[in-house]
Amino acid sequence: MSEAKNPLGLSSIPSVSSEGLVPVGRRTSLSSYLAALWNRRHFIIAESRAKMSSSTRKNLLGYGWLFLNPLLSVLAYWFVFGFILQTSRGIDNFVGFLVIGVFVFGYTGKCMTGGTGSIRSGASMIKGFQFPRAALPISTVVRNFLDFMPTLLVMVIVLAVVPPLEVITWRVILVIPVIVLQTFFNVGLACLLARLGHKIPDLTNFMSIVSRFWLYGSGVFFSIEDRLGSHPALLEAMQYNPMHAYLTLVRNSLLYGVDSDPKMWIVGAVWAFGLLIVGFLFFWRGEENYGRL
Amino acid sequence: MVDSEIQEPNIIAENVQVRYTVNTNDPSQRATGLRRLSNAVAGRAGQTTVRALRGVNFVAREGEMVGIVGANGSGKSTFLRNVAGVEQPDRGRILVRYQPLLLGVSAALQPALSGSENVRLGCLAMGLSPEEAEDAFDYVVELSALGAAIHRPMGTYSSGMGARLRFAIALAARPKIMLIDEALSTGDATFAERSERAMDELLAEAGTVLLVNHAAKVIQELCTRAVWMHRGEILMNGPAEAVAEKYRWWAWNVAKGKEDIADKLLADVMSNAVKEEINILEPELIKNPIPRHAARPSKKKAARARHVKRQDTVVVEETPTPMLAAAEEQVWPKTFDAEMPKAKFPSLPKPASQAVSAPRITDSPPLRLNPRKSRVVLRAANPNDRASSVAAADDFTGRRLASRARKIADERYEERQRLRQEDETSAVHQDSNR
Repeated sequence: MSEAKNPLGLSSIPSVSSEGLVPVGRRTSLSSYLAALWNRRHFIIAESRAKMSSSTRKNLLGYGWLFLNPLLSVLAYWFVFGFILQTSRGIDNFVGFLVIGVFVFGYTGKCMTGGTGSIRSGASMIKGFQFPRAALPISTVVRNFLDFMPTLLVMVIVLAVVPPLEVITWRVILVIPVIVLQTFFNVGLACLLARLGHKIPDLTNFMSIVSRFWLYGSGVFFSIEDRLGSHPALLEAMQYNPMHAYLTLVRNSLLYGVDSDPKMWIVGAVWAFGLLIVGFLFFWRGEENYGRL
Repeated sequence: MVDSEIQEPNIIAENVQVRYTVNTNDPSQRATGLRRLSNAVAGRAGQTTVRALRGVNFVAREGEMVGIVGANGSGKSTFLRNVAGVEQPDRGRILVRYQPLLLGVSAALQPALSGSENVRLGCLAMGLSPEEAEDAFDYVVELSALGAAIHRPMGTYSSGMGARLRFAIALAARPKIMLIDEALSTGDATFAERSERAMDELLAEAGTVLLVNHAAKVIQELCTRAVWMHRGEILMNGPAEAVAEKYRWWAWNVAKGKEDIADKLLADVMSNAVKEEINILEPELIKNPIPRHAARPSKKKAARARHVKRQDTVVVEETPTPMLAAAEEQVWPKTFDAEMPKAKFPSLPKPASQAVSAPRITDSPPLRLNPRKSRVVLRAANPNDRASSVAAADDFTGRRLASRARKIADERYEERQRLRQEDETSAVHQDSNR
């Protein structure tokens, strides 16, 4: 372009009005971010369903594996623990105890590992479209939730059919609020870990170890009240473990048909809403960085 | 160019700088000391900083199609990514009127899903509601012209078919600003024609397209303006014909190994290059050019001189000035009746960098792809299998909307066809002359 000179002989700088123009790709305020996220709700659901179906479509049985997989794992657990080892160790209906523990914990565990890698696995989408990035960890949770639903159904049926039969009370309904709380917790966890995992890629290696440690620490295979009886301080700390709270709540309402300690409900609810808010805000603050990988 | 100055800007990039820290195994870049130890643990040879963009100033206006040419690694794609808002520049800023849509080689579609399912997913990803995605479906199928292949999994598509579908999906949202990163080169001739028409429509509706392409010919034919980028800076900015021609000549010489000529050309261009600067006028400053702190009446009264405070009377000794012979004695009035005009603050808008009350956009409205949400898309007869019915009908002209935009697009299209034919005939003449 030729050098534009004004009558004074100075090169003039072209001026443009920035009226109506907005900086692109900036983090918006929380309210408009939430609104944008709400507008993409259809996308989040469609995306998680697409991922789910593309993973199952490769198999011959397709969606059948959603039910078959938990059913076979129940069978395996029953065979090992109920038939061979015959471990009851002071726990009523140990197989039921174990099945609930493994499946309910598995939901959070998958959200944890999936959330850590969600930014990295969604890199092509981040580079292709402009959307609130929180859609990625949330869609991971939604996908795992959709996976978890048939599992939950299988679990309830198996518990109802396989002896020893448990007492079915109205408390079965209480499973729903527990799962809702756990889902909130998972969203917060996935958001928190998504930003951390984007910043520190090494975290993916670390997460499997953390997940395993958490699995044993939450009383999936054994009752921590029995095992940690000799360490009251540790037991007290374990009471605040959110997964222990969710597991106990599900077991109490589904398996034993007894009322749960209100403290458990409080622990579960505080963790769910607290982590949801903290994790989401933490993720939102890093919104501008996720494009760089 | 004078005409384009009147148009409103759609994209403003001001002093955009981007740098990346990347791994390198260049022996000369090897770190020393503790750094080297940590590099050895991490399994890398060394790190270096690459300046991908070194201060790009750029304005694109409504109805402009700007081509970006340049050698590989000159920062074209980085610039597009920054304009799309996918990345944030390290320095400088980019302002846009609408959310730009980046059409890259990679897109967010699932290879295991069928084409029609991907259309829906892609539309939802761009922020359309499910109803809008349904409405846009016809348009996408028509534009992509995949026929029955739309029902097959996308993983089975050829690269050209995939690019066609992606381009069609991107246009379904009717974006106002589109950034195309070498996506059109994979389509065949019929699709190239169709996509050109689609882009003409977009431009006619006061949209803006940035097109990165290595083929200078494509830039010459499609674009109104072209920009030559070199090593993260804009070397040339001007009419597409001239810039693309120069770039083509340079690239040809480089390709032929005639580096001396290429270097000479580059040096010539660089010596003529003017580092463009833009003065961005902030809307708030245009309306209210006086900074708030300056406009505020100061509470403190200006300190008076000491003798005024003490109310001393200062006696000034009058010395009679010697009169010049020519000068007449004038009677000066003791007081002025008219009030003296107060000195005004200069009402020149300041550049943003010096602005004291520069507006901080704390809550900018969410960017949209286009100004209006409702679109006019006609539905096909059979709602169950619209994909095949649209593809089979093959009657695209009948459904065309008779709008002004359409007319402008047609004019542009005819003009281009005419130019192409002239080119061909002249080429034939040259051949026959030989």
